[in-house]
Amino acid sequence: MSAPMGRRWRVPRELLLVGAGAVPGALLRWWLQDPLVANLLGCLLFGLLMGPGAARPRLLLVGMVGFCGSLTTFSGWELQLQQALQHGRPWNLLALLGGTLAGGLGGLLLGMGLGRGLAALGRQALKALRAGIG
Amino acid sequence: MSGEPLWVVLGAVPGAWLRFWLVNQLEPWLPRRHWGTVLVNVSACLLLGLVLGLEGRGLLSSGGVTLLATGFLGSFSTLSTFLAEVQGVLGKGEWAQALGLATTAVLGGLLALLMGLALVSVR
Repeated sequence: MSAPMGRRWRVPRELLLVGAGAVPGALLRWWLQDPLVANLLGCLLFGLLMGPGAARPRLLLVGMVGFCGSLTTFSGWELQLQQALQHGRPWNLLALLGGTLAGGLGGLLLGMGLGRGLAALGRQALKALRAGIG
Repeated sequence: MSGEPLWVVLGAVPGAWLRFWLVNQLEPWLPRRHWGTVLVNVSACLLLGLVLGLEGRGLLSSGGVTLLATGFLGSFSTLSTFLAEVQGVLGKGEWAQALGLATTAVLGGLLALLMGLALVSVR
């Protein structure tokens, strides 16, 4: 199909960035074969990126919306909850529920702390380097 | 080794795009942005129920299930943003709001999944 002259259809840059993060994120989730592990890892990374502050829109789109968004899954978690319910395993259900909520929130906070620490360390190193050069 | 990773990728990209686009589109219509994430996640559960129901009736191949369930819906739905939003509400000291948000999402998702499964299950 030919597009009208001068009107080329382009994927907006934002979508390219989200897609670039989504591909490795989804592949890692598929490879891990375990929504709980993927979810906890995704929350930790999300916190790590969130910690230093929302300074970089590109990092936000690739890393947080694309990668972490695709690595973590809500539907996969709910499916596990439903299966635990269906097979009459209330302890399994509670462990999955509590483990994901507490582990995910804990991972986020841990990641945020780590991210802030790493960013501060990076700034200090940069300052020392500049002082050395100057 | 089959073409499974390819199905995952083919589903994941539009899934992530749709999530990003929908949450942004819904934002002006909702009292708070996090309800957009809840809507996305709950609708992903409904669709997952439909997909697994169709698989159960033999209407979907395993490649189709990987494309739709693992690739598309796995990427469309998200836990990291949802929990970051819960944490944001908690951070403001709004405990009841956070509990309401988490309960609505978890129970809503479970009900939607069951509804999807029931809609296409064999009678």
